[in-house]
Amino acid sequence: MNGATRLAWALLALAATARGQEDILDRLDERLTASSASGLVRARLSGTLDVEAYAFQQPAPGLIVAAGTALFNPRLTAFLDVQLGPRVYVFLQGRVDRGFDPTDGGTEGRLDEYALRLTPWDDGRLNLQVGKFATVVGSWVRRHGTWENPFITAPLPYENLTGMWDIAAVRSTATLLRWSHVRPKNFAGEQFADSRFRLPVIWGPSYATGASVAGDLGRWTYAAEVKNGSLSSRPEYWGPDEVHWSHPTFSGRMGYRPDERWDVGISASAGSYLVPAAAPTMAPGHDLDDYREVVVASDVSFSWHFWQFWAEAFVARFAIPLVGDAQTTAWYAEAKYKVTPQFFAAIRWNQQVFGKEIDGMGDPVRWGYNTWRLDLAPTYRITPHTQLKLQYSVQPDDLGGRDYQQTVAGQFTVRF
Amino acid sequence: MKTLLLRLLLVTLAAGAQAAEITGRVTLPKTRTAPVVNKRYEVVSKGGVVATNPPLAVVYLEGSFPAPATPPAATMSQKDLTFVPLLLPVQVGTRVEFPNLDDTYHDVFSYSPAKRFDLGRYRAEERPVPSQVFDVPGLVTLRCDIHEHMRGLILVLATPYFTVTDADGRFRLTGLPAGKYLLKAWIDSRTTREQPVELTEGGALTVDLP
Repeated sequence: MNGATRLAWALLALAATARGQEDILDRLDERLTASSASGLVRARLSGTLDVEAYAFQQPAPGLIVAAGTALFNPRLTAFLDVQLGPRVYVFLQGRVDRGFDPTDGGTEGRLDEYALRLTPWDDGRLNLQVGKFATVVGSWVRRHGTWENPFITAPLPYENLTGMWDIAAVRSTATLLRWSHVRPKNFAGEQFADSRFRLPVIWGPSYATGASVAGDLGRWTYAAEVKNGSLSSRPEYWGPDEVHWSHPTFSGRMGYRPDERWDVGISASAGSYLVPAAAPTMAPGHDLDDYREVVVASDVSFSWHFWQFWAEAFVARFAIPLVGDAQTTAWYAEAKYKVTPQFFAAIRWNQQVFGKEIDGMGDPVRWGYNTWRLDLAPTYRITPHTQLKLQYSVQPDDLGGRDYQQTVAGQFTVRF
Repeated sequence: MKTLLLRLLLVTLAAGAQAAEITGRVTLPKTRTAPVVNKRYEVVSKGGVVATNPPLAVVYLEGSFPAPATPPAATMSQKDLTFVPLLLPVQVGTRVEFPNLDDTYHDVFSYSPAKRFDLGRYRAEERPVPSQVFDVPGLVTLRCDIHEHMRGLILVLATPYFTVTDADGRFRLTGLPAGKYLLKAWIDSRTTREQPVELTEGGALTVDLP
């Protein structure tokens, strides 16, 4: 039994003893909240401790970067929420883990989010925010935390890698098909060395740096942001010292809530998906703005009594001078049902289809593998502060020589 | 039948006239810090100041009392992202309704051993208002699955004689029957103070619970 397994068992044992001891973490919660004498300035430190384990088949699915077929992935996430009077709100998110997405690398600490929000009016008609924070596009961001997300992994549009790179420009259809592993179909049981360069439609919650304006106008909500990275940009390029201030990405969402049950939204985003290091590879006479990722998305959610439903669809177009636009459409539908006060189950259907490019022979060929994925996830809330989540995923295996690729994951979370 | 009802009325009036009462003060802990609302991923946020949460105590008379003829009823609302009242004492067998007075969803639940339930998400205008019967004595901690800062307490007591102190700890218990009892003050899940009392018909006691 290695150290990681011992730790997992130890945490499970802690969970068992924690049952019925919710008072301890409630008291900790009170101790982690501070206030000025007048109560005008209040701060709260909270967080989650996650112990995740994955068993998967190569090539590793989604944003998992690991050489083997199993991965142990502990993660400590700390949040600081500060309220300064009714108008100013500050929040920070720091993490200690093995990488922003599950990897077999070493332990690292990062400040993933920090933002200052001003709310000039009580009715929320206007909110101004600056910092490094999650995108306003779509609806998954609001439940991407491990406690709120019914699944361990993100929906397919947020993590399925396409053949598009950010550190080099595609100069021909043949290059695009090679990067997509469509031609040649070259998987030999090893992890893809290029998985660190490939981009999804939207990279997880996309904590890029920038500013946003958002508001609530009765049943309507609006949000717009300008960021230093496109929706597909990698976490390495989300920091304020990173690229794209001269080539910003603009995104927005309009939402409509007819009543508490429904939330419907449309989103759009446009920005360069290449980083400046890719400049030497661009077609002559073109600059970063010519290599744009344009995304149009729609989302809908419904919740009532013990049911919750979500669905999102993304149409993404990557502009490639001299080659043409590469288009892909990705969507998912997700349902969650609370079976008992402490047990709930979720199911998610994900799908992605790729457009066609004209190859050197003049024939149309898809620039990626059309795919689907079925996710199933039961969760048991042991106490109000601890939960155990499992996930099983299956999707077609286009490269591994099997009919299907399967992933099993477990996640134990302590929330404080 | 009429005679029986008349007798019951006379007995009740007589009992009321001779009921004892206790007044006093409970020393409360210092004021708690108001919670901070997590608004990280609510792109649109309103306000931000949640009402302070002053410590209160429940003072009650412990003894052997008959069960109520009809199940009592009480209300625990959700208003401005807070439980109102924050602390609700009820007698065993009480049906508590949970009206949602906000224009957003709540999902009230409890994992407390005295009552485990989850009301789910329901609209403000839905009828009947979701409710639960609290039939086991003990402390029930209420939470909201959507708003993590929300906390409410229901103290389920095996007595019909209880009251909540004011923010200074002052209380007044009236309509009490004569006899020997234990006067208790519940302050939090770890602190309950008590003092034996002997009540006479129509008598009045002053008891402080420091």
